[in-house]
Amino acid sequence: MRDLGRRKLRTTLTILGITIGIWALVVFGSMANKINALVEGGSTYFADKVSLSADAGMGGFSSAPMPLATTDLVAAIDGVDVVVPEVMLLMDDEMGAMSMSMPPMIQGSVAGSDEGRETYDLRYAQGRALTAADEGNQVTVLGSDIARKLDAGAGDTIDLRGVEFEVVGVLEPTLTAPDQTAMVPFGAAQQLFVASLPPMVREGVEADAVSTSMTVYPEPGVDPDALARRIEAQLPDVTAMSGQDFDEQIGSSMAILNAILIGIALISLVVGGLSVVNTMAMSIAERTREIGIKRAIGGSRLRIVRELVVEAGLIGFIGGAIGLALGALVVTLVNDAGRSSGTVLFDLTTGTAITAVLFSTILGALAGFMPALHAARLDPVSALRYE
Amino acid sequence: MTLLDGRNLRKTYRLGRSNTVHALRGVDVSIESGEMVAIIGPSGSGKSTLMHILGLLHGPDLNHGPRPELSFGGRDMVELGEGERTRIRAREMGFVFQDFNLVPTLTALENVALACDYAGIGGAEARTASLAALDLVGLADRAGHRPAELSGGEQQRVALARALVNRPKLVLADEPTGNLDSERSSEVLATLRRFNREHGQTLILVTHDQEVAAACDRVIRMRDGRIHEPAVPAPIALRPAPALERASA
Ligand SMILES: Nc1ncnc2c1ncn2[C@@H]1O[C@H](COP(=O)(O)OP(=O)(O)OP(=O)(O)O)[C@@H](O)[C@H]1O
Ligand SMILES: [Mg+2]
Repeated sequence: MRDLGRRKLRTTLTILGITIGIWALVVFGSMANKINALVEGGSTYFADKVSLSADAGMGGFSSAPMPLATTDLVAAIDGVDVVVPEVMLLMDDEMGAMSMSMPPMIQGSVAGSDEGRETYDLRYAQGRALTAADEGNQVTVLGSDIARKLDAGAGDTIDLRGVEFEVVGVLEPTLTAPDQTAMVPFGAAQQLFVASLPPMVREGVEADAVSTSMTVYPEPGVDPDALARRIEAQLPDVTAMSGQDFDEQIGSSMAILNAILIGIALISLVVGGLSVVNTMAMSIAERTREIGIKRAIGGSRLRIVRELVVEAGLIGFIGGAIGLALGALVVTLVNDAGRSSGTVLFDLTTGTAITAVLFSTILGALAGFMPALHAARLDPVSALRYE
Repeated sequence: MTLLDGRNLRKTYRLGRSNTVHALRGVDVSIESGEMVAIIGPSGSGKSTLMHILGLLHGPDLNHGPRPELSFGGRDMVELGEGERTRIRAREMGFVFQDFNLVPTLTALENVALACDYAGIGGAEARTASLAALDLVGLADRAGHRPAELSGGEQQRVALARALVNRPKLVLADEPTGNLDSERSSEVLATLRRFNREHGQTLILVTHDQEVAAACDRVIRMRDGRIHEPAVPAPIALRPAPALERASA
């Protein structure tokens, strides 16, 4: 091992090659992780339920008004168990469309109106959950990213679209939509929503009769996807989205993005890997005479291959560890910078970190193996004469 | 007792389809245990090639002509696999090569200790033996130097220390005094001679140096891949003590 330190330049170059590849793997892998977490969070969130929005809407973030009366129409449909009307609106009109991740949202529904059907588990870092008793009060529970961005905790007063709200709770990070959500009582959300509408539209809308979306919990044994189709058939103005729809729409486009990211990471890794194979082969070829001497004075082939492979694996490990450290640095810096604007791009998981270092170690060892085997199989005299 | 016995040793290098070099054209050679033998001859006459075959670094050609034979310590070496040959090189032989000898990243001491390591000796024992071997060639004070920090002659003496450190049955040295001035050369020769006398160390020295040849028990002259003339006994005065005494060592 002391050998490594005494062959500085070549070793440094090899390590650098691995470092770059692993750096890319860590950074892009973390980005892919984040996307996966979003998709999976969505999948979990939408599983076993159907989300309704007004037909004019633009998918998940839509904020077209939907008469509250629709609730009764939906509830009458076969297979519907519970209907929870909600109001969703952008926290900030300028934000959103341009942002890569989910924009900050205000969300309101009557606490407990899901009758215990919601299985998505929210945990509270501070304070408490909203209750039905909060209706009529200007109180809010903040998602972790919003709380950080506003630098607000339980007990603070914040401003949501020009209205003051008291923070009563802060959520633990979920790595998905709730992180970017401020939850308020249903009535408060209705008021904010109507105030956000353009004056022309506002005329005909009454705050206490409006919602923007509804969550439908099917009766036990009813297929959410079939129910979604049935609702759409019976209520032409309504778009119904089941977990399956989510997976198909959002999931598949995210999967493509994901594949692109992983692809970039793999390409940089292959390029890095080839340069490692190259430098490793050159550095071992350079040492052919030295290997010849060792073989001549009685070093066995096995032992020489083992020495070289262990050394190459160590080079891979060091390169991988440095690449991981640099990748983690970038991920942390970019995340910290993005957090204030609510854009958290990366999620560096333990799995990604371990994979990266393991991969580089194995890559190094493999890159060393072939040339090592070749050199160890030369007869000692040819190796000694090698130029 | 015969330590090394070779018959019909041939080596042909094929460089192209019609370009072949007959480095050895059929050599019979026998080395007694405790003997100090010089191999001399013009450049290109096959001295190194013969040394490599006797040192199990190469196999002799098997394909054409009479079957080669090679025995070392009574065992047949021709049929031996590479693993076993490597073991014998590590435990029973020591080598000094013509121009490249040391692992450049290891110190003089580590280079010598490597031979101990391959022979299955490690730790403090290897260190002590290696230091003693370096002392023997007058380089104890250079133990921590790497090859790049040593002169050519010093490197060759480190190689000699490495060849001797395990007290192998046979030491094969290719031009061990090639890079030394005559004073150093005499010193190294005296060391080898003493080792041969005191320990009955069998030595095969490939050399151009008349002084070295003259100091040996026997001189094998090579020319054009063959042994040129019958072995010539060295002057009586330089002959070693009788073989029987040495054999008890
Ligand atoms: N690997 C090889 N490939 C081709 N020819 C070789 C090879 N090794 C040796 N030879 C040839 O074999 C012949 C004998 O070489 P060898 O090295 O045994 O000579 P030598 O007597 O040791 O010479 P020197 O005194 O110059 O060291 C030479 O003609 C040489 O060119
Ligand atoms: Mg030679």
